[in-house]
Amino acid sequence: MNESTLILTLFAAIGLGTPLVFGTVGEIITERAGNLNLGVQGMMLVGAVAGFWATFNTENLLLGVIVAMLAGAALSVVHAFASVTLRVSQIVSGLALTIFGTGLSSFLGETGSEPLVGEPSKATFEPILEGGLADIPILGPLVFGHDIMVYVSWITVAAASFYVFRTRMGLSLRAVGEDPASAESAGVNVARVRYIHIMIGGAFAGLGGAYYSLALVPTWQNEPIGQAGWICIALVILASWRPSRALFAAYLFGAAERIQFTLQTLGEPWSNVPSNLLAMLPFILAIVAMLALTSGKRARFLGAPAALGLPYFREQR
Amino acid sequence: MTTRRIIVEPRGLASLGLTLAVPAASVLLALIVGAIFLALTGNSPGEVYVKMVDTAFGSQRGLSETLISATPLILTGVAAAVAFKMLVWNIGAEGQFIMGAVFAAGVGIALGSGTPALIAIPVVILAGAVGGAFWASVSAVPKVYLGVNEIITTLMLNFIALNFMYYLIFGSSSPWRDPEVSQFPSGRPIPDSGRIPEILDSQRLDYGFFIAVAFAILAWFLISKTKWGFEVRVVGDSSDTARYAGIAVPRKFLGVFLMSGAFAGLAGSLYVAGPVGALDPRSLDLGLGFTGIIVAALARLNPVAVVPVGILMGALNNAGPSLQSIRVPAATVEMLQGAILIFAVAGEFFIANRLRRPEKKPQPVAAAEGGEA
Repeated sequence: MNESTLILTLFAAIGLGTPLVFGTVGEIITERAGNLNLGVQGMMLVGAVAGFWATFNTENLLLGVIVAMLAGAALSVVHAFASVTLRVSQIVSGLALTIFGTGLSSFLGETGSEPLVGEPSKATFEPILEGGLADIPILGPLVFGHDIMVYVSWITVAAASFYVFRTRMGLSLRAVGEDPASAESAGVNVARVRYIHIMIGGAFAGLGGAYYSLALVPTWQNEPIGQAGWICIALVILASWRPSRALFAAYLFGAAERIQFTLQTLGEPWSNVPSNLLAMLPFILAIVAMLALTSGKRARFLGAPAALGLPYFREQR
Repeated sequence: MTTRRIIVEPRGLASLGLTLAVPAASVLLALIVGAIFLALTGNSPGEVYVKMVDTAFGSQRGLSETLISATPLILTGVAAAVAFKMLVWNIGAEGQFIMGAVFAAGVGIALGSGTPALIAIPVVILAGAVGGAFWASVSAVPKVYLGVNEIITTLMLNFIALNFMYYLIFGSSSPWRDPEVSQFPSGRPIPDSGRIPEILDSQRLDYGFFIAVAFAILAWFLISKTKWGFEVRVVGDSSDTARYAGIAVPRKFLGVFLMSGAFAGLAGSLYVAGPVGALDPRSLDLGLGFTGIIVAALARLNPVAVVPVGILMGALNNAGPSLQSIRVPAATVEMLQGAILIFAVAGEFFIANRLRRPEKKPQPVAAAEGGEA
C-alpha cells in the first residue's frame, strides 16, 4: 500500500465515519439517561429523507440539516412516550421505530407525482478549503480537507463530552441513567430528563442520516444509509458510552467500510478478495469487539449506565 | 405524592376480550396513521386499502400468495414469541432464517434427485432448523456463558448471514449457485424429490403452510403443556424465583435461544423447499425476521395466535407490490407494519394497567396504595 492509497483510505474513513459519529454520540446521550433506543436506523432514515426533501425544495443545506434533526427528534418522541410514559419494552418499542421509520422513509421518497427517488440533491456538502492548508502533505487533507459537517461532528463530540461530564445537566443525566430513584430523591425529574435526551439522540440520528443523503450518497435512493443505524448501536458499546471514544470507533468502522474499495485499487491479489465477504467486515468487527470488551467480568469496567434498559416506576420506589 | 389527573394501577389478569381488543385496536390505529400519511402525500387511503384487501384475499390466487407469504412469518413469529417470552432478545431471526435456507438448500442439493421424497423432504426441512439453531448458537453461547449482550450480536449476524448468502450465489461458484445460468447468477434448484408438494395444481401454495401451523402448535404445546415449558415461563417471569426453585436458568436460556433459532431456520427451509425451490437472494432478502417480531408482538407472544396474525402480515406483504399499479409505493406496507408494532407494544400498557380518575375526595392514604380490590 503506497502513501497516497493510505491517505485516501483514511480520508474516506473520516467521511464514512462522520454519520456514525453523529448517530453514536446521539445514542450515547440517550443511553446515558438509561434508555436504549433501537430506533436509530429508522430515525436516521427519516432524517435522510427529510433533510434531502428540505434541501431539494429550498436548495439550502442548513435548512436540510435542521429539518432532518427535527424529523429524527419527532420520531424519537414516539419511543419516548412508549418507553418512558407507558413503560413498555424499550427493545420492542425501538425496533418498532426502526421498522416504521424505514417504511416511512422509503414511502416518502417514492410517493407523489414527482417522487424524490433518483433525483440528485440540489445542494451537497463540499470540502470548505481548496488548496492552501489542504495541500499540506498527509495532514493537509486529513485535517483541513473536509466538508463543514466533519468539523461540526468534531465540535459535537467535544461538546457532548463536556456536557455529559462537566455540566450540571450532564450530572443529572448520568444520575438518571445510573440510579433513577436516587436522582428523583435529589429533585431530578427522571421522565423529563429521559424525554429530552431521547430527543437529542433522535436529532443527532436524523443529522447523521442527512449526511448520507446530502454528502455521501447525494441522489435519493431507498435506504441510502446501509446499516449505519445498527452499527451506531454497536459503536456505543465499543465507545464505552464516552463521546470522545465514539469518534475513533466510528472512524474504525468507516475504514472497515472503505476497505473494499481500497483493495480494489491495490490490484491483484488484493482485488480478488470477494466483495461480499468484505462487506461482512464491519459486522464481524462489531461482534469481535463485543466479545473482547464485554465478556464475563470485563463488562463491569466498561461503564454501561446501571439502569440502561430498565423502565422506571416512580410508584414502586 | 403529587396530584395527578389520572391514576395508573396494575391490573391483575386481563380479560380475554381486552387481550383481543387491544391488538385489533392497534391494527385499526395503524391503518388510521397510514391513512393520514397517504392523504397528506396526495394518495387516496380508501383506494389503497381496497386494493390491498382485493390483492390479498380477493381471488384464489391472491389467497394462495397470501398464505405463501404467511408461512415464513408464522415461523419467524413463533421464533420471536418463544424467545421474547423468556426475555431472550433474539433479534436475529433474519439471519437464522437465511442460514436455515442455506442449510436446507445445501442438503437438498447434496441429496440429489435419487433420494425418495419421503426421506428427502423431512431431512431438508430439519436441515433448516439445524442451520437456524447453529446461527443462533453463535450469539447464544457467548450470551449464556460470557454474558455478552445478544441484541447486538444477533443483529450483526443478520448482516453477516445476508452477505454470506450473497457470496454463495453472486460472489463464488459454490454448490448453491446454478452452474447452468451464467448471465444472471441464481440459486441451483433443489431436486423435486426434496421439494414440498403443492396443494392444488393451479396455485403455488404448498403444504409448507400446514407444516408451519403444525410447528406453531408444537411450540404452544412445549411452552404451555410441558414441565420444561413451565420452567421456561417461570424464568421469564423472574429469574430469581427460578433460581430459588432450583431451575438451571442458563440451560433454559440456551435451550429457548436455540429453539427460537430453529423455528426461524425452519421458516428458511420451508421457503426454499417450497415456493422458491432454490437459495435465491432476490426472494429471500425480505425482512421476514423483523416482520416476525411484529407478528409475535401483535399475537402477544402466544404461538397459536401467531398463525392468524401471520396471515394478516402475510396479506400485507403480498399486497405491497401490487400498490405500484395504482402509483403508491410498496413501502406503504412496511410503514403500516411499523405503525402496527408501535401501537401493539404501546397497547401492552393498557393490558397491564387500569386507568382511573382520582376520587373527588381522596382519602390520602388509601388513594396512594390503590389496587386492593
